[in-house]
Amino acid sequence: MEFKDYYATLGVDKTATADDIKKAYRRLARKYHPDVSKEPDAAERMSAINEANTVLSDPEKRAAYDALGRRPPGQDFRPPPDWDAGFEFSGGDHGAGEDEFSDFFANLFGRAARARRGADAASMRGGDHHAKVVIDLADAYLGATRSVTLRSARLDATGHVVTEERTLDVTIPRGVRAGQHIRLRGQGAPGYGGGAAGDLYLEIEFRPDDRHMVDGRDVTQRVPVAPWEAALGAAIEVATPSGPVEVTVPANSRNGRRLRLRGRGIPGDPPGDLYLELDLVLPPADTEAARELYRAMERELKFNPRQATERSR
Amino acid sequence: MIERTVEVLIIDDDGLSREELASACAVSVEWIERHVASGLLEVGATATMRFTSAQLLRARRLAEIERTFDANDELAALVVDLIEEVERLRGR
Repeated sequence: MEFKDYYATLGVDKTATADDIKKAYRRLARKYHPDVSKEPDAAERMSAINEANTVLSDPEKRAAYDALGRRPPGQDFRPPPDWDAGFEFSGGDHGAGEDEFSDFFANLFGRAARARRGADAASMRGGDHHAKVVIDLADAYLGATRSVTLRSARLDATGHVVTEERTLDVTIPRGVRAGQHIRLRGQGAPGYGGGAAGDLYLEIEFRPDDRHMVDGRDVTQRVPVAPWEAALGAAIEVATPSGPVEVTVPANSRNGRRLRLRGRGIPGDPPGDLYLELDLVLPPADTEAARELYRAMERELKFNPRQATERSR
Repeated sequence: MIERTVEVLIIDDDGLSREELASACAVSVEWIERHVASGLLEVGATATMRFTSAQLLRARRLAEIERTFDANDELAALVVDLIEEVERLRGR
């Protein structure tokens, strides 16, 4: 178990007042709020900040933590026996997410430690856990299986807290949309005193992909087309998430034109639609032959795109 | 240790009850009722008081903002409205 320096996490001094701690916590919570922050590790940072605040903002927990003394963060650490003798944890404020804090926290203040002290004799349902599952858009069309690793703390035969990892194979049904939740009953935190286990909620998120945009069950896919395909019309083959489809590009199509393929969005009742957005790609003028073709167009077409824009207004 | 899970439920097929939503957000049922009554949280199906995935996400965000910043209900809702709007714009 690694020692956690909660003062360093919040960037405050050991002599910080309750007010300093609150200010530091809120400043960091604004910076690393996972819905707002662009930092790649925002969610982990936020969890660490919440954990540090849970301990340092509670006078009883802070006093007990201070009594452990200060060690280099990350150092392997075992609390001395009876380290918490003389401290009384109220333990009533079971904050959201506390079940997901570090081993260090679980050992010192966690549910298992409370259970060891017999503070929570009453039967109580375990907390619900939340996690995100990132899937590809294709998985929403076909369904998928994802392994989810969960960590939970329990007491071993000698009364010590041990953390266990278990892996669940979760079947993600076809037709699932971003932002939807899958609920796994009884896979959250274990209950106290014979209470039922909580549930695990998995929020579905699609892996970002620069060719597709998803809105509910409707999917927009950008399809590169050559200028002659757009100008003259063409039958082209497009690899869509539900398989290859032959599509007719109407003549005189402009860049950005959207073609609707009804029912080829994310499956469901009713299924979404697939929109193909034409993305006009110019052939590079990187050979003499290509340059001559462009020059021929320039001579023959007398085309001024600025004038065309003016006229169309 | 790999366990195969048996029960997988997409919430929107069924929806969450008030009690389930409260438990998933670590708030009281009264908290849910208060936010529904003041219009800060919508109900998926009014007759049965069941909540969808989108409302679960919104309720969790509201509860978390209120808890982290000691924010009042309306201010937390304003922040969550903005977060939802940013998400919608980023998705375009």
